[in-house]
Amino acid sequence: MTVKRWPRVLAHVFLIALAVLWLVPLVGMVFTSFRPYAETSIDGFFSWPDSMSLDNFRNAWDRGEMGQHFIVTIALVVPAVALTLLFSSMVAFAVSRFSWRFNIALLMLFTAGNLLPPQAIIQPLFQIYLRIPLPEIPFISNSGELRGSLIGLILINTAFQSGFCTFVLANYMKTLPKELNEAAMVDGASVWRQYWQIVMPLTRPALAALATLEFAWIYNDYFWAVALIQQGDDLPITSSLRNLSGEFFTDENVVAAGSLIVVLPTLIIYLILRRQFIGGLSLGGTKG
Amino acid sequence: MTTRKTEIGGYPSPAEWARDLNRRTVLKGGVALAGLSAIGVSCGSDAATEFTGSIGDAGGALTIGSNASDPAPQAGLAAVVASFPNEDVEVTINTLDHNTYQENINAILQAGEDDVLAWFAGFRNKFFADQGLLGDISDVWDQVDGLGAGFLAASTATDGKQYFMPTSYYTWAVNYSKSLFAEKGYSEPSNVDELLGLADDMASDGITPFVFANDGQWPIMGTFDILNMRINGYDFHIDLMGGKHEWTDERVRNVFTTWESLLPYHQTGANGRTWQEGAAALETGECGMYLLGTFAASASEALAADMDFFNFPEIDPAIGAGALDAPIDGFQMIAEPKNAAAAKELLLHMSTAAAQDAYLSEDPSVVASNSGANTSVYNDLQKKSAALAGSATGISQFLDRDTIPDFAGECGNMFAEFIEDPSKVDGLLADLEEKKVAIFADYS
Repeated sequence: MTVKRWPRVLAHVFLIALAVLWLVPLVGMVFTSFRPYAETSIDGFFSWPDSMSLDNFRNAWDRGEMGQHFIVTIALVVPAVALTLLFSSMVAFAVSRFSWRFNIALLMLFTAGNLLPPQAIIQPLFQIYLRIPLPEIPFISNSGELRGSLIGLILINTAFQSGFCTFVLANYMKTLPKELNEAAMVDGASVWRQYWQIVMPLTRPALAALATLEFAWIYNDYFWAVALIQQGDDLPITSSLRNLSGEFFTDENVVAAGSLIVVLPTLIIYLILRRQFIGGLSLGGTKG
Repeated sequence: MTTRKTEIGGYPSPAEWARDLNRRTVLKGGVALAGLSAIGVSCGSDAATEFTGSIGDAGGALTIGSNASDPAPQAGLAAVVASFPNEDVEVTINTLDHNTYQENINAILQAGEDDVLAWFAGFRNKFFADQGLLGDISDVWDQVDGLGAGFLAASTATDGKQYFMPTSYYTWAVNYSKSLFAEKGYSEPSNVDELLGLADDMASDGITPFVFANDGQWPIMGTFDILNMRINGYDFHIDLMGGKHEWTDERVRNVFTTWESLLPYHQTGANGRTWQEGAAALETGECGMYLLGTFAASASEALAADMDFFNFPEIDPAIGAGALDAPIDGFQMIAEPKNAAAAKELLLHMSTAAAQDAYLSEDPSVVASNSGANTSVYNDLQKKSAALAGSATGISQFLDRDTIPDFAGECGNMFAEFIEDPSKVDGLLADLEEKKVAIFADYS
C-alpha cells in the first residue's frame, strides 16, 4: 500500500504548494485593499492590520469615476461580442458547409489575422481612423471621427476577435453531419434558413463558450482603448483604471481596491458560466 | 526677442538662471533658421487671429488636455479654470493619467480634440514645436507679466518663438528627515568631503546613507544629472543631452567612476524598489538621505511634516554647486486649435499670479512660475525650493525631459544595468553611444 500512497501524497503536496503560490498575490491584494496606504507603506504588505475599512473601495469608485466607465464598457462589450459571433459564424458556416475553391485560403487568412500582434497595425489603423469622419453623436462618437469613438472601438475589437471565433466555429460546424443540410436543401430551405435555423441552433454550445471567452477578452482589452481614445471620460473601465495612479505618488491600496472592483464582473460571469468557459478553452486547444 | 519682457526680480526668476538658458536659445536660433524652410510652417491659420491681450473677448467651447490624475493637481487645475475671468468660454478638462498621457502625446496631438495641453518646458516642448505640432503663442507672451527670462527661454523653440506657458516647477535635492538629523546631530554638508563624512557617520550608526530606488528606471536619472552637472558643469550636461558629446568621452566616464565609488553608500536592489518604498525607508529612519524631487513629501503626511532638503554639494570647486534639476510644468496650444482665441486667453490667464495662487491653494507641492505669486502662503519646502532655484546658475529639466524620449529610455536601461554591475560600464557606455547616434540620426 505504501508504494501506492506516496506518489499521491507527493502530488497533493505539490498541488497545495502551487495553489498557495498562486493565491498569495491574490489574497495579498484583497488584504491590502482593505488597509490604508500609510499603514502598509511602513509596516509592509504582510503585516498584522491595525485598521481595516472599505475606504479604498469608496475612494477608487469616486476618483476613478467607475460608474461612468462601466457604462462605456457595457456599451462596448455587448455589441462587440454579438457582432463578433454573428460575423464569424457566417464565415464559419460558408467555409464549413460549402466547398469553394478559396475555403482553405479564407480560413488561413482569418487564422493568420489572429496571430497578428495588435501593436503591428496600430499606427496605420490610427491614421485610417483619423481620416474617417462620423456624425457627432453624444456618447457614440463624441470626437466626430472614427478615432476616439465608441463605434471605432467596437469595430476593431470585432475585427480582431473574428479570426479566432471563425476558426473555432468552422471546426465545430465541420463536426455537424452534412446530411442535415442536404435534407434541408431537399425540403427547399434557403441558404439563410439553413444557417439561421439548422446550423446556428446546433452550434449553441460553441457560441456560448465563445461568448463567455470573448466577453472576458474584450472586457480586459487595454491596448485598443488606450491607443484609440484620447478623452479620459470615454475610456472603458479596464483602461480607465490607470487614472488611479498619479504622476509620482500612487496609492497602491486604492489601486488594489479598484482592480478588485474591475475584476468582479468577469469573476461573476466565470462563476455563472464556468462550464462554458472551460468548454471554450478546450474548444480552441484541441480542435483543428 | 529684444522687445520681449524679460524682467527679473524676486524669485523664481533669477538673473543667473536666465543668462544661461538665454544664451543657449539665441545660439540655437541661428542654426534653426536654415532648417525652418524644410519643416514648413504649420500654424498659418492662427497667424490671422489677432491677440490683443484682453481676456473676455473670446467665447465658445475650449478643451484642456490634462495629465493631472492626482487629486491635488486635479483640484488645482479646476481652481485655475474657475478663476478664469471669461464666463463666455465653456472650459472642459479632459484628464488622462500622467503616464498614459505622456506615452500617448503623439496621438493626443494628432487627434486635435484638446486645444490646450498640459506639458513640460524645454526640450520636450521644443521637440514638438519643431515638428510643427504646436501653435505659436508669442503674441500671448507679449502680454505676459511676471515670468522671468529663464522661463521665456524654456518656452522658446528653435525658431525663436514661444510655444509654452510655464505655470509651476519643483526642485531636485537631497531630502532628509529633520528629526533624524536632530537626534543624531548630523548637519547639512557643504562639499563632497563633508557629504562622504556624513555618509560614513550614518553607516557607523547603522543607517544606510542613501535611499536608492529605481523602479520604472527614471528615479536614478536624477543621480546621473546631478553628478554630471557637479563634475562636468551645466553646459556639458545640456550638450550631452543634446547629443553633442560622446558617451565614451573621458568626462562621462569620470561621472560613472564617481558614481561607482558612491554606490556602497546606497541601498542595494534599487531596480526593484519603487520611489514610494524609498520614501518609506526615509520615513522609518532606515536610510538617512534621498536624492529626489520635492514630490518625495507626497508619499506620506508624516514624512512631509518632517522632511527638509539640501542642495547636492559641490564636487569640483571650479564648477561649484549652482546647477540643478528643476522641471517646469505648464501648458501649450496645439497647432490647429478649434478655439484659438479662447486658448490664448486661457494661456495668458494661466501665466498670471492670480491663476497660480488658485492652483497652489490646492496643490502646495510645487512653486509658482510668476514672480508676483503670493509666496506668503508657501510652506517651508516651497520657500526653500524657490530660494534654491532662485540662486541657481543653471536649471536643467531632468534627463527624461532634456533629451529625445527614446534616448532617455536607453539611458534609463543603461543606468539600471550599471548599478547592477558597475564593472561593465565601458561596454555599456559604448552601446549607449551607438544607440545615441542611431536615435539622434532618426530625429535630425
